[in-house]
Amino acid sequence: MAKLWAIIKREYLERVRTRWFIIATVFGPVFFGLLIVVPAYMARKGKASTEFTNAIILDATQTGMGTKVAEAMAVGRLPGTPAPTVRVVPPSELTAAESTATHQVMHKQATGYLIIDEQTIKGEQLRYAGRNATSLNDMERLRNTVKQLILAGRLEDAGVNPDRVKELTLMPLQMNAERINDKGRGGSGTVSIIFAGVIAFLLYMSIVLYGQNVLRGVLEEKTTRVAEVVVSSVPSETLLAGKVLGVGAVGLTQQIIWVIASVVMFKLRAPMLALFGVTTTPFQMPEISIGLALLLLLFFLLGFTFYAALYAAAGASVNTEQEAQQAVQPLLIMLVATAVFINPILINPTGRTAIVMSLLPFSAPIIMPLRLAIGSVPWYELVGSLLALAVSCVAAVWVAARIYRVGLLMYGKRPTLKEMGRWISYSR
Amino acid sequence: MADYAVEIENVTKRYAEHVAVRDLTLHVPRGSVYGLLGPNGAGKTTTIRMILNIIAPDEGTIRILGVPSSDTHITDRIGYLPEERGLYRKMQVRRILRFLAELKGVKGAVADARITEWLERLELKTDEKDWGLSKIDELSRGMQQKVQFIGTLLHDPDLVILDEPFSGLDPINTQALKDTIMDLKHRGKTVIFSTHIMDNAERICDSVCIIARGEKVLDGSITSIKQSHGTRNIALSLDGPVSNGVSEALADRQLVSRVDDSNRYFEIEMAPGADPQDLLRRIVAAGASVQRFEMVQASLHQIFLEKVGAHSRAPGEGPWTEGVETGISGHG
Repeated sequence: MAKLWAIIKREYLERVRTRWFIIATVFGPVFFGLLIVVPAYMARKGKASTEFTNAIILDATQTGMGTKVAEAMAVGRLPGTPAPTVRVVPPSELTAAESTATHQVMHKQATGYLIIDEQTIKGEQLRYAGRNATSLNDMERLRNTVKQLILAGRLEDAGVNPDRVKELTLMPLQMNAERINDKGRGGSGTVSIIFAGVIAFLLYMSIVLYGQNVLRGVLEEKTTRVAEVVVSSVPSETLLAGKVLGVGAVGLTQQIIWVIASVVMFKLRAPMLALFGVTTTPFQMPEISIGLALLLLLFFLLGFTFYAALYAAAGASVNTEQEAQQAVQPLLIMLVATAVFINPILINPTGRTAIVMSLLPFSAPIIMPLRLAIGSVPWYELVGSLLALAVSCVAAVWVAARIYRVGLLMYGKRPTLKEMGRWISYSR
Repeated sequence: MADYAVEIENVTKRYAEHVAVRDLTLHVPRGSVYGLLGPNGAGKTTTIRMILNIIAPDEGTIRILGVPSSDTHITDRIGYLPEERGLYRKMQVRRILRFLAELKGVKGAVADARITEWLERLELKTDEKDWGLSKIDELSRGMQQKVQFIGTLLHDPDLVILDEPFSGLDPINTQALKDTIMDLKHRGKTVIFSTHIMDNAERICDSVCIIARGEKVLDGSITSIKQSHGTRNIALSLDGPVSNGVSEALADRQLVSRVDDSNRYFEIEMAPGADPQDLLRRIVAAGASVQRFEMVQASLHQIFLEKVGAHSRAPGEGPWTEGVETGISGHG
């Protein structure tokens, strides 16, 4: 037991100390943070219309409307972006001003130009030309702003007190569109689908990354002949177990750090976004019960052990990095096949594909947690999935341990499948 | 029974295509230095792996220090240096040594003290530089071999098994290794090593076992083996070039049955019934300047060639088979 512990400790510490691990562990949360900030930032950019703040307003009305529009559009712009430029021009020179502005837009000195003329004041026509003319958001906002300002102007003309006008026209009407599908309102559904997708992706990633890690570790021990020294002190099964457990613990450590960092970042989301001048919309973190967390952990452990054992067997049966790439192909195909089904199953988590794939040992460790995260799964399906996975896990470890034991000390040519079959039957 | 460190009784190990070891019986006395000799592919490594319980024999029994080799605790009393040195390249020297010690059941604190002692003893830790804090791949090959050697002995084993320990060592490290083997012997430890290099074996070993093609060819103490081969050999040294007359005399099968020609030094096995004096007369008559002409016991090298060469000679092959050639050239 002390020897197993020594092996686990070595596998764990040597990996955690590597630069690769530290970088991946630190950059995971940073990446996650960017995932929160960047879309919000981009969205805000769209809303605040930085596109428009760099526009030219050609005002041919002498009413000061151009300045008012510029002021309104400049509200909430990002620091550092210029306010729209207003050019008051006599109506007779409008055509010339237009061609100058066109030129400027062509040379990327401005995004576009807005023309305010008599027809605009009458509320008949507003003209805009620019690179962002196809942006429905921008155009809609522009139209609303000008419409509101014209309305305000008319109210003032009608003798309404300017302050009163401001009060009446100020109307930050926000629209919240919610989707309804077969199962009812889908608002919170989106959150759990994202959550389930993240869980499935994390499991997939860590099995692939750390499975490969086990493979490389075994191959290193074999090619440097360290394996011979170690198996002269402990049974090969102990070395295999220590390696799988040690590497698994590294993966788990990384995930725990990631999850904690993500949760913290989520909590700090509002102040973080405020730094970029974005206000947050309320967003409910999915609730994870202790039971669900334990189930997810169990699936990770079983799934990782299943794949890690097979990766170890593959590593022991080859001699070079190139051969290893070939040997892991069947494993990668199983994993990629599972990943391909993540999306369809997210859409239909109770369909036949979902049920079958949560019973197959190679896909169960990814698909079942995904379904658990989306919503409730019948208990018998859960138990069936766990049983199938546990039994296959034991079988995989048994087969892998035998291939590992023989393969570790066999150098030279790569064995055929038939030879590997014979290895399994070797007593010792 | 406890007189033996290793007792191998009628052990056979088969693989799919061939028999690696066939009905091997050998006894290694406690406190002795024991050589396991044989050409490549003779079954030395398989035998060593069975002693270490890495693989199990198909037939027969192996007892180590009085207990069956399958006893899980016995591995803690064995130190093993594999033929091709194995260390994690990216790992710090002290950490890897501590790991190897822990695998043998040595507690961390005890291991640390011993590691320091060994690093100093083998000059890996000096006032200027502590290589213990470096990673393995920053070390020279010779230093890596020292580290591996420390790893083999850190748990103070009673039985030390060295697979081809001299291969790739420079003369200084070879001498250091010989000194250490002698030191182990004086402290009552048993040392088994495999080698192709007969000179080393002859000088260091108390007893040897020669195996070829998985079978024992010969075993016993060096003294008894050499005595049983009698003093039918002549050591001959000449000064100056070898004349035709000398070559003819040495090629005369009436006089000489075998010559090991090392340019100016010859080891000659006399033909049965031939008189060494006749040979000396012929050589002197041929005008050679004789520096040394001495009746000696056959060297282990000669015995090896005779036994293994004869043993492994197959129909259609010449007297010197591939295995023996490898045996002569060896490694280093």
